[in-house]
Amino acid sequence: MNEPTFLILTALAGESQHGYAVIEDVERMTGGRVRLRAGTLYAALDRLRGEGLIEVDREEVVQSRLRRYYRLTGAGEQSLAAETARLREQATIAEGRLRARRADFGGATA
Amino acid sequence: MTMPEIRYRRLLALYPRDFRREYEEEMLGVLMADPRPGPAQVFDVLRGALAAHLRGSARESRAARVVQVFGAMLLFAVALRRVSGGVRGALRDYLGSVPVDAVSWVRLAGWGVVLVAAFVGWRMLGAVGATAGLAGEILSPARFYLDTPASVLWAFWLIVAAVVVLIAGLVAERGRARPAGWGWVAAAGMVLVVQGTLISYSWRWAVAGLAVALVGAAVLRQEPGLRRRLACWAAPVIVTVPLVQWGFGGFIEYNMRHPESTQLIGPLQWAALVLVPVAAFAGASVLDRRGLPPAPARQG
Repeated sequence: MNEPTFLILTALAGESQHGYAVIEDVERMTGGRVRLRAGTLYAALDRLRGEGLIEVDREEVVQSRLRRYYRLTGAGEQSLAAETARLREQATIAEGRLRARRADFGGATA
Repeated sequence: MTMPEIRYRRLLALYPRDFRREYEEEMLGVLMADPRPGPAQVFDVLRGALAAHLRGSARESRAARVVQVFGAMLLFAVALRRVSGGVRGALRDYLGSVPVDAVSWVRLAGWGVVLVAAFVGWRMLGAVGATAGLAGEILSPARFYLDTPASVLWAFWLIVAAVVVLIAGLVAERGRARPAGWGWVAAAGMVLVVQGTLISYSWRWAVAGLAVALVGAAVLRQEPGLRRRLACWAAPVIVTVPLVQWGFGGFIEYNMRHPESTQLIGPLQWAALVLVPVAAFAGASVLDRRGLPPAPARQG
């Protein structure tokens, strides 16, 4: 799972959101590092809908424009949980190795 | 309509029509709200449009997945019906030899593999299974072609159905498949198997009608837009019935009456057998698109 997909699913894990709200949420979550653009966002949303990971929650019209809210499906929740566990495992390994490296480095200089 | 909106609509026009119908208004709202207009934004939209063309629409890929599963189930049932009929005949007559030829087993295994692959989400395995199934559907009548050319014509709908299922599997959405109504199609498959093995000839048409009704019930369980697309995928198979019946009726009759000078299928006839199903798909797709709601009206 690539990072934009992971971030979009994470954004929708909290509550159903429309497209622009997803962009803003992702930007907040990443401290401004990732700001999705429309082409990337809707390619991902279309793909995730096709894979059954998200679905349309509701639609509303705001200022004569359609606004569609998307939500995570059960399959999307499972997929996000699996990816989160995978990332956590990798992060734990990385942390352990960094800790060991710092200990080795400290021992060498002591 | 403002200048930015006109510019964005021109960009969005590069997306496939189905994609635009689904997302154009939403994307326009997001693009208009984006505080970072510029070349990077344009490039992002262009890249998205290209990806959408390459990937096909969500509706198409969902329909293809349903076609793959339903088609493979029915082809598996037809293959199983032939195999079980051969096995029963051999057991009854105590022939003591191999009751069913290898091609029939390959065909049965091929469609079985497609079903397993669709349910577990293995696309490549599905393609391999469908290729084996298609090879079986072609080889089965082709063995008798020189003696009885009509054997290929009678089995032609199965060959076309096998091609349709193979293509559908290649463009279907990824992931595990369990489309709504698959139980109805499974029941139709079982009815087909029973029809060929247990039911007396006088009941066959009624039981075949029951199988068709069960498949119809499964199709009715799909979304309306998806149902229309399923009809497009089914069109090449359906059109083979009148094509063979009326287009080749004289040809078949001639060969039956003149076994001493059997005619083979000519180049133009082969072309018709290939082009008519393709044209049926294209024609049904045109009708489907005309039946879709128009793209959102532009303002201004």
